[in-house]
Amino acid sequence: MKSFQELILALSDYWARQGCVLQQPYDLEVGAGTMHPDTFLRVLGPEPWRVAYVQPSRRPADGRYGDNPFRLYKHNQFQVILKPAPLDVQQLYVQSLEAMGVDLAVHDLRFEEDNWEAPTLGAWGVGWQVMLDGMEISQFTYFQQAGGLELAPISCELTYGLERITMFLGLEKSIYDIRWVPDGVNYGQVRWQDEHEFSKYNFEIADVDFLRRQFDGYENESRRCLAAGIVLPAYECALKCSHLFNLLDARGAVSVTERVGVMKRVRDLAIACAKEYLASRERLGFPLLPKGPDGPPEGVAAATEVARG
Amino acid sequence: MDSALQPQAGELLLEIRAEEIPARMLPGAVQELGTRLFEELMTRGLSPKSLDSAFTPRRLVLVLRGLPNKEKDRQEEVLGPPVKNAFDAEGKPTAAVAAFAKKCEVAESELRIVEAAKGKIGRTVRTFAEQLAQPAGAGAAGGGEYLAATKSIVGRETVALLAELLPKILIALTWQKTMRWGAGTGPWVRPVHGVVALFEGEIVPFELFGIRAGRESAGHSTLSPKGFPVKGVEDYLAALGRLGIVVFPAERKRLLLERMTERAGALGGVLVEDSALLDKLAAICEIPGVMEGSFSSDLCALPREVLATSLRDHQSALTVEKDGALLPVFLTVMDRPDDPAGRVRAGNEWVVAARLADAKFFFEKDRATPLADRRDGLAKLTFQEKLGSYAEKSARLVALSQAIASGAGVADLAAVRSAAELLKVDLATDMVKEFTDLQGVVGGLYARAEGAPEAVWQAIYDQYRPAGAKDALPRGAVGQVTALADRLDTLAGFFALGLTPTGSKDPFGLRRAALGVVRISLEGALECDLLAALGTAFELLDEKTRTRVDAAGGAPAAPSKQPSREKALEMLVEFLRDRLTHVLGERGFAYDEVAAAMGAEGGALDFRGIAARAEALRNVRKDPDFATVAQAAKRIANITKGSEAFTFTEASCTLEAEHALRHASVTLHGEILAARASLDFAAGLRSVARLAAPLEAFFKDVMVMDPDERLKQNRIALLQSIQSEIRWLADLSQIVV
Repeated sequence: MKSFQELILALSDYWARQGCVLQQPYDLEVGAGTMHPDTFLRVLGPEPWRVAYVQPSRRPADGRYGDNPFRLYKHNQFQVILKPAPLDVQQLYVQSLEAMGVDLAVHDLRFEEDNWEAPTLGAWGVGWQVMLDGMEISQFTYFQQAGGLELAPISCELTYGLERITMFLGLEKSIYDIRWVPDGVNYGQVRWQDEHEFSKYNFEIADVDFLRRQFDGYENESRRCLAAGIVLPAYECALKCSHLFNLLDARGAVSVTERVGVMKRVRDLAIACAKEYLASRERLGFPLLPKGPDGPPEGVAAATEVARG
Repeated sequence: MDSALQPQAGELLLEIRAEEIPARMLPGAVQELGTRLFEELMTRGLSPKSLDSAFTPRRLVLVLRGLPNKEKDRQEEVLGPPVKNAFDAEGKPTAAVAAFAKKCEVAESELRIVEAAKGKIGRTVRTFAEQLAQPAGAGAAGGGEYLAATKSIVGRETVALLAELLPKILIALTWQKTMRWGAGTGPWVRPVHGVVALFEGEIVPFELFGIRAGRESAGHSTLSPKGFPVKGVEDYLAALGRLGIVVFPAERKRLLLERMTERAGALGGVLVEDSALLDKLAAICEIPGVMEGSFSSDLCALPREVLATSLRDHQSALTVEKDGALLPVFLTVMDRPDDPAGRVRAGNEWVVAARLADAKFFFEKDRATPLADRRDGLAKLTFQEKLGSYAEKSARLVALSQAIASGAGVADLAAVRSAAELLKVDLATDMVKEFTDLQGVVGGLYARAEGAPEAVWQAIYDQYRPAGAKDALPRGAVGQVTALADRLDTLAGFFALGLTPTGSKDPFGLRRAALGVVRISLEGALECDLLAALGTAFELLDEKTRTRVDAAGGAPAAPSKQPSREKALEMLVEFLRDRLTHVLGERGFAYDEVAAAMGAEGGALDFRGIAARAEALRNVRKDPDFATVAQAAKRIANITKGSEAFTFTEASCTLEAEHALRHASVTLHGEILAARASLDFAAGLRSVARLAAPLEAFFKDVMVMDPDERLKQNRIALLQSIQSEIRWLADLSQIVV
């Protein structure tokens, strides 16, 4: 049975062999691998892109002080983007399971409808939750829209919940019992204190006024960056706002009526960043597009048109 | 090759292989596919002997048998140019003639001259030869005359027709949600990977989203993914059969049920059947394998409802019962024939153990706090932004329930009060947050465990009943009172805010709430004055629904679209009556019986009275005199429509038929009084039927619209008095005779 790090290695190796850029986690707090700019921004526009990375994903409200065997405030996602999604992407995914050591001759693999939607990112997609022996092991999504923009070509996003998969394949009773290192330290030894202390911080200690001031500050900073035409710093500030919102939410500081308004502020930033990113890539001449003898290959112009909305 | 597996004459096999299509969309999709193709074929005179559709998550399949291989040859009448354009001044044919003959593929001599109007061919006037023989200039006068030809159409080969129809129909299928893939291909439900289209074993040549139709199918996605060629229908079905793939969903469902029933028996119990869940399971597999798992028997201490809901919602699993209790086992589907390494079972059991451990944790944690102590928690739960929190709703429910109970003479007011107080409390429990479907049930179970009286815990448990047209009502009078109060409060609240359902949109489930009100009123144990109860509901809501300054921000509320209370009540009464019409229709009452009963001048919300009137109408309308009276009722309605009320005086009667009708109406008055006293609508209607003869004589002998205004008014007054007697029973003018 594979340890946590062996699983990461197997997936990294497999997807690197499929031509993915082996990227590193984004070095800010995010709620999901989708928010990494190498997903959220790169899926926009006509440029092809393949990337794979581990993304620690923080969801403050999910914390359980390290007491619950199944729930974490921070878990690790293995994230893959294939743009455009090749026609055999499902097969590629199935082979990745085999690379993880799953022998499909003895397992039950099913794809059950599960459409993904992230209102704060103005994004949605169509796809499945992938069920292995009755357990959800991945999200498989064909992105249709991001930052409020229609996408063409279509990207496929594959998200593996690393802790859950390691736990499930080993039929472990607690996340904290899974091996991080084969014959070495386990997950609890590496992460328990982190879970415990951050649960306390997220639920009890975080200073609501301070968080609010930061939210306002980063929102303002994001707008300033956009005005200056630098989209990546603007997007970082938007990510900060998103995380601060999650923290405020975990502190119970966002009322039902306020909630809609705060979410809209985050969404407006994300959408503005998406638009600006697309414009910035166009100004650069979409550098990742393969160059045909006479400019961009056929179909790209149309795709750009659609992507621009 | 077995000759039985050779393609048969007239057979069509269509298989679309795609990535997993959502279970909820599959049945509708194959149905639409079959219907559309069938209709298109029929309009071309191609009628198949049979049409079967099938699906798996990865396939849409259509099998047609006995389809002619060619459209019939036929002749079509074609209208050509007008004669005045077809022949010049000298009567010689112009170029238009040659062009028309060419278009119809006939010789000029075969053309003929017809009369025509608005593009329709009429009678033939003369042959082409006769036209040529006409003296010069005669043709120009012939307005309305045209050339016509009989065109022979050779029927098309079915294969060619299918190649044109199939991609069109497939692309246009309707899906609840579509997607694009690759460079932007689509929209369709999921990416397409393969198309088999064989007519009599020959490939029907077309493309679907860049995939060319052929004869290559493929097996199960992980167990037998290799492609294989198929000759035709029987060969295809046999090949899938060898791989264990069952393509017909009804067959998969049957096999699942059979296998699960057998497993349940082997475990010493009985399968708790769930047809809707089996439909879902049959739609998520190609190979209907049954997965049997077990869980720790300690968990059987959890309430049965919780166990079953967790297993159903989280693992799509059915349960097995023995002596009224659940066994610690579950049955679900696996998309494979067997479980050689026990991995499938181990995995499913791991997930179920985790889920049930969660449920147990919630249960124990919830039980540590008595329900009554959770009432404060309801203040934090919003029922509806303007209608306030669940704490506020609960306070209204207590008052409204007690008003309804007093009005209906329910003795146990203390139980009504306790039930109403605790009705919504389970919304603040972890169990309900996890399993929202168990709202009410959880509260009822907790109340029972806390020793609440039966009437109280059952009222809480049953509060969402009836959930539909077939579901049972709350078990006792207390439960019916609180269930009614809950729905009336919701309905009155949303109607007062103007948030009424429109078209297919009913986000707050108001139709279902109204259906509950109708069914509890019709079938329940209560004699409840709904109109009075609604009045109380609106009063209790008044403070909430009056337009007010927003408490949080101080900004004035947006310009209100809220109706006045009178208007809201009127709309709600109509809404409830509309549901009643629907319910009575479903119970087999004819449309006109329902309309007539609804039109009676009884209480607008006296649902039982209305239903009893419909029942009486259904019985009495067979009476031969009844039709005569119903006819007369229409005449009366027409005559009295819009007329002011007049006073009848015996002295103004001039004709025998008038006297006779007056006499009959006095008798009727007495009989209706008696019927009203005993609420015997059938007797009342029979009395009305006895008016048939005098009414008939009246309309035969008496002219109501007499020039003498005094006579006319007196006659109208007589009819008005009869109408008002009848109107208590029904609006008979609605009856279709």
